[in-house]
Amino acid sequence: MTPSLTAPVRVLLAAVTVVLTSTVIARRRYPVAAFGVAAAIGAAQVAFGVQNPAPAPVFALQPTDADLAILVLLYTLAAYRPRPVSIAGLMLCLAGAAVAIARWAPAHGAYAGNAVLGAAGALGGLTLAAWVLGDSVAYRYRRARYAVVEARAAQLEAERDAQAQLAAAAERARELQEQRARAVDQSVARLRRIERDLHDGAQVRMAALAMMLGEIKENLQQAHGDGHVLELASAAHRNAKETLADLRDLARGIHPPVLDRGLAAALGALADTAALPVDVDVRTCERPSAAIEAIAYFCAAELLANMTKHSGASQGSISISDGGGRMLMAVTDDGGGGAWPAPGGGLAGLRERVQTVDGRLSIDSPAGGPTSIVIELPGHA
Amino acid sequence: MTPRRLRIVLAEDAAIMRDGLTQTLARRGHDVVAAVADPGSLSQAVAAHQPDVAIIDVRMPPTYTDEGLRAAQSVRQDHPHVGVLVFSQYIETRSAAELFAGAVKGGGEVGGIGYLLKDRVADVGDFIDAIAAVAGGGTVLDPEVVRHLLRAGRRADALAALSPRETEVLSLVAQGRSNAAIASAFTISPRVVEKHVASIFAKLGLAASDNDNRRVLAAIRYLES
Repeated sequence: MTPSLTAPVRVLLAAVTVVLTSTVIARRRYPVAAFGVAAAIGAAQVAFGVQNPAPAPVFALQPTDADLAILVLLYTLAAYRPRPVSIAGLMLCLAGAAVAIARWAPAHGAYAGNAVLGAAGALGGLTLAAWVLGDSVAYRYRRARYAVVEARAAQLEAERDAQAQLAAAAERARELQEQRARAVDQSVARLRRIERDLHDGAQVRMAALAMMLGEIKENLQQAHGDGHVLELASAAHRNAKETLADLRDLARGIHPPVLDRGLAAALGALADTAALPVDVDVRTCERPSAAIEAIAYFCAAELLANMTKHSGASQGSISISDGGGRMLMAVTDDGGGGAWPAPGGGLAGLRERVQTVDGRLSIDSPAGGPTSIVIELPGHA
Repeated sequence: MTPRRLRIVLAEDAAIMRDGLTQTLARRGHDVVAAVADPGSLSQAVAAHQPDVAIIDVRMPPTYTDEGLRAAQSVRQDHPHVGVLVFSQYIETRSAAELFAGAVKGGGEVGGIGYLLKDRVADVGDFIDAIAAVAGGGTVLDPEVVRHLLRAGRRADALAALSPRETEVLSLVAQGRSNAAIASAFTISPRVVEKHVASIFAKLGLAASDNDNRRVLAAIRYLES
């Protein structure tokens, strides 16, 4: 500033300088607005700029310190805003510089050549440099962000793959479970059919045969015939009766017919034939599948047999209750305890049998008793 | 045994057994007035023929579980004077108890009742004796059931009051044996048996009325214990 400037001009220059400088403060938050304000002030400088009447040097074309704010803001724009916005800013700056030079250069005609070239080079170079710096920061930033996005995408894809695999595994597990349930149900149905075939076939024929042999024996006895033949007939009759008993045991081992009348009836029948008093309490809302009933029945039979043979108990109990959609069968006795699933033993076998349908068997049998064995079975295989 | 000619309805779904029994019974001088294969035909045949005894297989169509037992109960309800002999491939104490429990409702003149293992047909003579006993209003319980009950070793309070000998006598009563048969089984005099039986009836709280009926009731007590 030169002393020749009037007071209002000085005030205006100071005000412009303050406003221009202060736009930098808001550059991070409002880069476009701040740049807009600064650019507008620059444009105002060009339009209404104070032209120094002095002949030289080209004082009015020198940027004031405050005009650096525009370049700082251009840098910010290039660094933090999309490229089209920053390129528009760059163009605006270059155009502004060109217009400024065009506006003021003729006033300094004597020095026009080199000074104008120097001013154009300096302004254009500085503007470009500010933009390039900002843009390269933006580029680095964009690259880093892209890398993060890429990594996120890869991670998402991996997660999706893992989820797909999990879903496939769950589907497979469900399939296998269904297949197992079908296999178990089919095997029970097959056993039941075999028992029925035995009942309707071999057992009936054998009973009829035994009846006929009995008649033959009685006829021979009454006729006082050949003693040897009578002996043979008696032996055949005895054999037929024993075979009948064997067949009955065999059929009952395959599928106890009493199971057809429900688990409660079957367990009751078991308790009736036990060698010690056994209390039966069946409380289930829903009847389990035939396969589950059969497993429960055979487990109860085996446990009752164990109780009789090993426990020394004076009484026992079988209770069935509902355990959250699963059937709980507790078989207890007041015997000496100490039951444990010896490898290859009955209890271990029961546990395996229960596990084939995803059931569990737990034993609580401290030395000195009492013993409580709880079998948990699903409603369906 | 006095050869009384019995009129019999036979319900058995297996043809070979049905035909075999029919022939055997005929040879022994009894009339199988109807041989049927399902519960429906059975009740019709009983209503039509009013036989001395109905022999009923437990397993019959449609479900082959305990249709025979239900049929036997309805025969007893509709035709109380008809004796019912149920026979089964398997012995179940509970089925026997059910059958016998339904047996003595109403009182009055009631037919006999029996529950036998199917194997018993092999001993034809014994089987026919059992049929005759049931036809005569007696009670026949398979020795197997009695054996189960004895092995179970549990008696209701009323039965706990019986002496060991009385329990033995009762088990034979439950099998449908006569006093004379029981006497010879234990090699004691019929008078002693009568004393035991009277004592059993007293201890079980059975009023002194018709002797046969009391024997049935005692057998039922025994079964239900």
